[in-house]
Amino acid sequence: MTLEIDWTRCDGHGLCAALLPDRISRDEWGFPVLHGTKLPPDTAVRRAVAACPALALRLTRT
Amino acid sequence: MTTTMGRLAADPASATWTIGAARVLAGLDRNAVLDARTHLDTHGPLPAADLGRLLGLLDASGLTGRGGAGFPLAAKLRALRGQRPTVVVNGSESEPASVKDRVLLRRTPHLVLDGALAVAVALRGRRVTVAVHDAAAAAAVRTAAAQRPDGNRVRVELVSGGFVAGEARALVRALDGGPALPPGRREHATDHGVLLANAETFAQLAVLIRLGRHRFADTGTRTEPGTTLLTVGGAVGRPGVVELPLGTPLGIVLAAAQAGQPRLVVAGGYHGSWHPAVPAIELSRSGLAAAGGTLGAGVLLVLDDSTCALGELARVTAWLAAESAGQCGPCRFGLPALARDVQALCQGHPGAAEIALRHARAVDGRGACRHPDGTARFVTSALHLLQDETYLHLHHGGCGRPVLGLLPIGGRP
Ligand code: SF4
Ligand code: SF4
Repeated sequence: MTLEIDWTRCDGHGLCAALLPDRISRDEWGFPVLHGTKLPPDTAVRRAVAACPALALRLTRT
Repeated sequence: MTTTMGRLAADPASATWTIGAARVLAGLDRNAVLDARTHLDTHGPLPAADLGRLLGLLDASGLTGRGGAGFPLAAKLRALRGQRPTVVVNGSESEPASVKDRVLLRRTPHLVLDGALAVAVALRGRRVTVAVHDAAAAAAVRTAAAQRPDGNRVRVELVSGGFVAGEARALVRALDGGPALPPGRREHATDHGVLLANAETFAQLAVLIRLGRHRFADTGTRTEPGTTLLTVGGAVGRPGVVELPLGTPLGIVLAAAQAGQPRLVVAGGYHGSWHPAVPAIELSRSGLAAAGGTLGAGVLLVLDDSTCALGELARVTAWLAAESAGQCGPCRFGLPALARDVQALCQGHPGAAEIALRHARAVDGRGACRHPDGTARFVTSALHLLQDETYLHLHHGGCGRPVLGLLPIGGRP
């Protein structure tokens, strides 16, 4: 699975980085930095996608 | 160190000249505008071409979009086969240094319409929309459309001229009545049933249909046949819109443009890259790629020792930051940070270059459109090249040269 960020939606308050600290960090402005976009479709990833308050995260099958 | 300074003329009806035989610019040496009759006298009638023939021609010539992204036109036609798309001519030309598309629309509009209408007919599309951001181009296209029997299919739309608004997907949204902003999701103009290409691309297609694949390949390189248009400006005696065979060495263009002592060139526009003025660099997509750059939007700006290159860089970076549409966090915050870094570099702050390179990496690829990526490439390529200047600004308070503004920003017609 590939994790995509819709940058026009993300407001950078960092919930995703808090939920997936091993996979997502934050840049100096607070916006998420993915450590590689290929992810296993595990529960933690799905939960983070669902939790994004801005609906900015999307998992795609590629 | 005296060179003839030539700023890109603010008047987009600026000079046109050619290296080799004129194709797209044919007739413009003798006519201010090619009307229907002078167009026919110059180019001859347009042979009919169905979709199969168009695809054959495009596959043989590999004609790619001339607006910056360089996407093959054949692939767009295939994606829209059977969908009766609207054909959109992107004449919004959002690169501030570029005037080539405006010159085409104002001075040889029939050639652009020939190409666009040929695509519309082949794909059985109903309409051709020409998107421009200046009234003179709009008037020229309307006049041309009124002179031809198929002109009733042509619609002219005045659109906003911002840098990012000229991005293909932003333009499609604006024509749909939406905001002139790139969408957040990955999608293409073709997903909206729209075949969009820039004005030069359609003019080149009209040339290709007339010449056929073999004569079209009489000039250019084996892999990139034909000619290209460049808007040439900066420290040259003869600025203007130039048609040249693809693969022409940079040195020939610099000599023909009367560049006195060229030291640096900016190729591809402000999403392009900086290069030393090495005469052997081949002006083609592959030639510039080999030099680590891009032909991009077909812009070639020359810098000599008369101006402070770092100051030029700082002006353009500040402009690029201001052009961010502000939708995406890394672009909205990162580009102004990058602009401040380059300004700090000019003022001799130690460590500013490293911070600028770090910020360039931080914005690269992190937006809904390519604006941050292009800006990062522009700044990074300059910083790698301008090490002597950086040293002078750091240790001697500057290079002692004024900032002449040879890289144009804003002030567009
Ligand atoms: S949770 Fe959503 S809005 Fe918040 S930083 Fe992550 S992607 Fe952006
Ligand atoms: S990347 Fe920048 S310019 Fe492009 S849509 Fe986002 S904010 Fe606008």
